[in-house]
Amino acid sequence: MTELAAIDLAALSGPSHGTLLRRRALAHKGLMIGATLLVLIVVLALLAPFIAPEDPYAQDLAQRLIPPVWYDKGSWAHLFGTDNLGRDYLTRIIYGARISLLIGVSVMAISGVIGTSLGLTAGYYGGRVDMAVTFLIAVRLALPLILFALAVVAVIGGSLPVVVLVLGLLKWDRFAVVTRAATQQVRALEYVAAAECTGASNLRIIFGEILPNISPQLFVVATIEAASAILLEAALSFLGLGVQPPVPSWGLMIAEAKNYMFFSFWLIAIPGTALAVLVLAINMVGDGIRDVTAPGGRN
Amino acid sequence: MERRIRTLLLQGLLFAAAVTATGTITTPAIAAKRDNSIRVASYQQADIIDPYFNTSLITTILAHQIWDTLVYRDPKTGEFKGALAASWRRLDDRTIEFKLRRGVKFHNGAVFDADDVVATLNFVTKPENKIVRRAETGWIDHAEKIDSYTVQLVTKQPFPAALELLAADIFIYPHEYYAKAGPLGMTEKPVGTGPFRVTEHARGKFIRMERNPDYFTDSPKSQPKVAKFELRFIPDQQTQLAEVLAGGLDLTWDVPPEQAAPARRMPNLKVVSGETERVAFLHINGGDSTPAPPLRDVRVRKAIMFAIDREAMLKSLVGDGGRLLHTMCHPGMFGCADADAPRYAYDPAKAKQLMTEAGYPNGFELEFYAYRDRAQTEAMITYLRAVGIRANLRFMQPAAAREARRAGKVAMDHWTWGTAGIHDVYAIDSVFFGGNPDDMNRDGEVRGLIERGDTSLDPDARKAAYAKALALIQERAYALPLFALPISFIANKDLEFTVYADEIPRFWEMSWK
Amino acid sequence: MLAYTLKRIGLAALVAVAVSAVAFLLLRASGDVAVALAGEGASAESVEAIRQAYGLDRPLAVQYFEWVGKTLRGDFGESLYFKTDVLALVADKMPTTAWLALFSLIFALAISLPLGILAALYPNSLVDRLCLTLAVLGQALPNFFSALVLIMVFAVGLHLLPVSGSESWENFVLPSIALGYYVAPPFMRLIRAGMIDVLASDYIRTARAKGLSGASIVLKHALRNALVPVVALAAVQLGLLLGGSVVIETVFALDGLGYLAYQSISHLDLPVTQAVVTLLSLIYVGLTLAADLVNAWLDPRIRIG
Repeated sequence: MTELAAIDLAALSGPSHGTLLRRRALAHKGLMIGATLLVLIVVLALLAPFIAPEDPYAQDLAQRLIPPVWYDKGSWAHLFGTDNLGRDYLTRIIYGARISLLIGVSVMAISGVIGTSLGLTAGYYGGRVDMAVTFLIAVRLALPLILFALAVVAVIGGSLPVVVLVLGLLKWDRFAVVTRAATQQVRALEYVAAAECTGASNLRIIFGEILPNISPQLFVVATIEAASAILLEAALSFLGLGVQPPVPSWGLMIAEAKNYMFFSFWLIAIPGTALAVLVLAINMVGDGIRDVTAPGGRN
Repeated sequence: MERRIRTLLLQGLLFAAAVTATGTITTPAIAAKRDNSIRVASYQQADIIDPYFNTSLITTILAHQIWDTLVYRDPKTGEFKGALAASWRRLDDRTIEFKLRRGVKFHNGAVFDADDVVATLNFVTKPENKIVRRAETGWIDHAEKIDSYTVQLVTKQPFPAALELLAADIFIYPHEYYAKAGPLGMTEKPVGTGPFRVTEHARGKFIRMERNPDYFTDSPKSQPKVAKFELRFIPDQQTQLAEVLAGGLDLTWDVPPEQAAPARRMPNLKVVSGETERVAFLHINGGDSTPAPPLRDVRVRKAIMFAIDREAMLKSLVGDGGRLLHTMCHPGMFGCADADAPRYAYDPAKAKQLMTEAGYPNGFELEFYAYRDRAQTEAMITYLRAVGIRANLRFMQPAAAREARRAGKVAMDHWTWGTAGIHDVYAIDSVFFGGNPDDMNRDGEVRGLIERGDTSLDPDARKAAYAKALALIQERAYALPLFALPISFIANKDLEFTVYADEIPRFWEMSWK
Repeated sequence: MLAYTLKRIGLAALVAVAVSAVAFLLLRASGDVAVALAGEGASAESVEAIRQAYGLDRPLAVQYFEWVGKTLRGDFGESLYFKTDVLALVADKMPTTAWLALFSLIFALAISLPLGILAALYPNSLVDRLCLTLAVLGQALPNFFSALVLIMVFAVGLHLLPVSGSESWENFVLPSIALGYYVAPPFMRLIRAGMIDVLASDYIRTARAKGLSGASIVLKHALRNALVPVVALAAVQLGLLLGGSVVIETVFALDGLGYLAYQSISHLDLPVTQAVVTLLSLIYVGLTLAADLVNAWLDPRIRIG
């Protein structure tokens, strides 16, 4: 017996599930690129006070609208130029990453908690509970999201916490739908039934068996929701009902740069590109996770 | 690798296309309409055309094209000429008698006579009609018909600015039509005596007018040279600019300086700038029920005044033709004086000191309302932030901001006021400091002085009262005067027009080269 | 089928009721209606008088039922800002938004159909990834950014299309592209997935064995089957497009429902906001109901489950 035990069982049966996943992940180009970009942006955001050349709120009216260094009139003093109040644009882009990431993460977290709880409850308990949650989701889906967000912000006034709360409390539907479907699928699996037989409590099953199993799908939804939240904040700021100036949010920067669009295109192109890169990176990570964890590869 | 490269390539293409497009904007615009019409746009909503129910400039502009007033002020010489009134004389300090012009018809064919004048003037004075322009009409007591072409106007108190206001704001309506249609009907289908008559009006979208062929030839406003004009409402200024660049519009005005400057480079466009009498100012609510209690302390208000670097703003943000002001009026107005008023130079250190003295070393928050010149508003927000005042911007359409102010919800706003040709302190200071709905501070002493200025017929007494009121407003820091704003028009280079200080484009004078 | 239909209609009706209640409550909470109605500068007494006259001091449930009753009769009240009948206002702006949503949907399908089919024919290849990237690109850019760039390039730079307004179909081209590009990716993915499934099925293999040409297989047989879920998605997306057109309408100066909603929200014009939100929600409920029924009719398995 001991000889058997001495033999490396893992070597016999092949690499573990975790190792397989990791290998697949590392081989998936999209996931790697997306993750690298994302990490880069997060690092930039975290190290903002150390990396950014200046104070994002410091205005200098004599230095307005200087183009980025790659234009004729640009200079190395302001790599990305300055905005309409003379603030260094590179600085504001770097600090803007903080706001976008903050919004993406917070909204994802809040809506994730709400949606996942609802979905888990509905998928696990079924019956009346399921009907109630499905009804709730249907009602939420029927209400036009952006108009609601606008209405709330119009009354309370726009600011970062308000935007995060409003979006977080409204955007849980996709989490709920996916979690519910996934929970239903997993619930029917044999080892869950086995766990029930051994007398594990409902909560233990939900958190111990079901949640870990559906987490890949949850991650995918999380990335979709984060990206969507970031873009929604940009839209709210565009309409004047999102984050308020002089906060350096990429969405707000685009909205304000709109006034200089024709003659100072870089003001809108740079944050627009930054947003697109962030959203694409998040999407790539999401797609990558889906590909890597879906049985049988991509489809 | 492929996906990333493709993505980046495509993004690069989009960027490049856009950059190229920016370069190609220099190509000539589509040929302008040669059917002798003008297409213009406003970013302000002209939703209520009835000028008694809207104070927006766009409504006033349209009103001058559609209706006439009793008298007309020649913008070049400043003298009053008879418009709907042929002549007038003052009977006593509260009565003016007007002899009306004969042979004038409204666009719907009705004949103009004393009934119309009396009906209009009496309508606007009745409080139950709830007109919005109360300061501009509140001085009228009533009008009496003496005969078909003679009317006497009686004012509540002796009112020296009567002619100014009659020329600028009192448009005469057809009495039968207005009685039937009411303000709503008048907005849907405006009917007046003016040089243009309305052919089509889609509320909130566009209004189309054509030359009034029967416009009375004795009018001080000349006969229109163009056959038609169309005003479109385009809320987004970028879209509006795009339209001008693409040739879809012939004229747009009130263009921010940062767009006016580069537009000068376009070969098919011309940019005309001029000074105006529009006063930009920061209006602070230090009244008892202000939403920001710290503002009740005059030291806090003074801190705000010291915190703003107006010189820097003037140089960089306002554009050519702007002027720094030190009291709440334009120097060209009768009664405007700033000699006695305290000056507030840019001194953030002093501002912080005052804040600490008042008990707010860490500053406080307030809601800051604004509706135009956003770059200036934001620059001020940054200056205020530096002294600890965290201003939350509430940027919205002027009508909404005005309603908020009248409902007492505004702690501070960045406001502007153009008097549309009234060169008298009355037209601005009684509105904001004379106890009317837009007065946030309700200072009895200031109000009394302004009323004295408004109602004495002796010019020296008026000047003395106004000078004192203006100085008090500055001492008590109710408002920080900012600038007299310039205005820029961007137009097709073949369009002939003049820019006036009252900001009112006279479409009847415009023509194509 | 009948039982299923009745069940779905019943459910939809319940959702509609719940939605209207939520819209009513949330918007009522957005401000003191009496103050808004009384107008500017009104005294405390006149506000109270208005409160009583409009029955605003009664319990919310009572107010809600009264509002529902009025709504069902078509009485949405009067706009506080425009001072006209709300229903007339909404009816006036509705067609613009409806056209915009429809054209956007058509554009979305127009680009996702070829991309999806192409991707399905060469799964996991470079072509596949390229198609996906093209589809996803539009979603990553904020739609007002794309809209402005489109104006710059096509309207101002190339003079191909008008910049703003809503006179002719030309005015809807750029807005539809800007709005439609956004909803294309889910369609593309769905068509691709559906096509891959169907193309691998026995049915198609048999058809190929019988000697039917590739094009005929693709177009006639595979596509028809793959399109089933697309119809349902289209209905849902149409509902979302109607509700999400605010930004595009603002940029292109289209006087539609979205812009009306934005204006009424900014002016705190409660009756209009309520009407628009309720109307859009009901349309969405109706569309999803229709989608469900169509799906069930096409795929009998759904009715039983």
